[in-house]
Amino acid sequence: MRFQRAYLIGFALHFILLITVAFRDLFAVLADGSTYLPAALEPRWRVLEDATFTVLGQRLPPNDPMRETIAFYLHAAGIEAGYGYFAPNVPYSYKLVFQLTYPNGTTEYELPSVGTPETGMRLPTLLDFIAANRYEPLRELILKMLAYSVWQHHRDASKIRAVFGAVITPSIAGFKRGDEATYAVVCAYDFGFSKTTQPRP
Amino acid sequence: MDYWLAALRIGLGFELLLYGITSRADWLQMFTLHPGSFVTRDLTEALVTLGAALVPRVSWLISAGEFIGLSEATILWIVWSGLMATGLCLVAGIFCRSAAIAAWFLHLSAIKSSALLSYGVDNFTSIGLFYLMLSPLPDHLALDSRWRKWPTKNAQLQSFWRRILQLHLCVIYFFSGLTKLLGSGWWNGESLWRALTRPPFDMVPSELLIHGKYLFIPLGLGICLLETSYPVFIWPRRTRLIWLVGVIGMHGAIAVLMGLYLFGFIMAVLNIAAFGTDFFRLRDSKAI
Repeated sequence: MRFQRAYLIGFALHFILLITVAFRDLFAVLADGSTYLPAALEPRWRVLEDATFTVLGQRLPPNDPMRETIAFYLHAAGIEAGYGYFAPNVPYSYKLVFQLTYPNGTTEYELPSVGTPETGMRLPTLLDFIAANRYEPLRELILKMLAYSVWQHHRDASKIRAVFGAVITPSIAGFKRGDEATYAVVCAYDFGFSKTTQPRP
Repeated sequence: MDYWLAALRIGLGFELLLYGITSRADWLQMFTLHPGSFVTRDLTEALVTLGAALVPRVSWLISAGEFIGLSEATILWIVWSGLMATGLCLVAGIFCRSAAIAAWFLHLSAIKSSALLSYGVDNFTSIGLFYLMLSPLPDHLALDSRWRKWPTKNAQLQSFWRRILQLHLCVIYFFSGLTKLLGSGWWNGESLWRALTRPPFDMVPSELLIHGKYLFIPLGLGICLLETSYPVFIWPRRTRLIWLVGVIGMHGAIAVLMGLYLFGFIMAVLNIAAFGTDFFRLRDSKAI
């Protein structure tokens, strides 16, 4: 009987957290104004999203034991993120191109290279993170690391320009008209590496 | 019976093996601290631990290994081998409980230390491993029960954990469908078109896809309705098979058309474990 009660309490707490995370992400989508619901409701969705932060302990001080425990549990159970994949609309994808310049003035273009197609499917997470990140030094640091991994295979290059942009694919109607995907540059950085350079955070 | 648990155990074992095999070529580059990796491990871990300092990560294992004189690369390969070994143990059903706990810990550490390269499949594998680790192992098909004669656990506990997995899937699909329904793109077919033409998921050439342009609206809406109504129609025996086949078919199509094979596989495993094994059991009893 005591075990049954313990299981039920555990079950209830688990589902409260699971549902709260799901609602948090739903309210975030609604508050962002990317749905067709009236914009006037957005502040209300934001209030509701804030309420979920409170339930999840995210309003507590950073080192609060309760906050840490809840955060650990969410990650351990794999329930720290909601389930709004490709929703409410499918976002643009991003692309990173490296322009390598050699001392003799020639240029070459490279894409981030991975060993298997499966790792290639993982790269969009990184590119989406770079796009969503508004903290310029972090964005530059990540691009510098990626540029350095490319430079490892082209150590004669004197300069690498990392060009990060959004790939805007045509709509169904646009494709029928003959439109092609376009590349809108979000940011670009120039990096120079020498054989002693080590890009570290 | 505990066929659901056997399906979950074997499916997750295969998922871990596939994860290991497909990431082997990039394993060191995904986790190393040395420059030349995609994103160095310390940066990824710093971002993850900003909100959750207690979350397991590969650095813990590396620190422990370095304490006894092992290099970073050696420890990373030990972690990879550990994942493969636990995957094999889960498939075979040997040391089920220990393998499930080790698999959960190693997998969670790996995906958190490479969080900037993780996507849905890793989350769903984590969910599955978390439930598997807590479920009443071993199941009756595991070698632990058949060969080592370890007793299976009581049926009440089996039902409890299976119900949690079932309810979790209902939450996943309901919110996934509902959020899609809030975007205009899923009503006019544009979201489905964009999902299939978005690099790097553009496995099928757009020139070929455009021939099916009249299907984008019904298919897009169909996906939304299939997902949103999953918590309603997956329970009655009359509609369960239709919804199960529909959802697994949807994940199969995502795997083939978008190249997300691991994602398709883990979703099929979770669905079959939660709701699919009754059909096999029914066939068995009829055959008997």
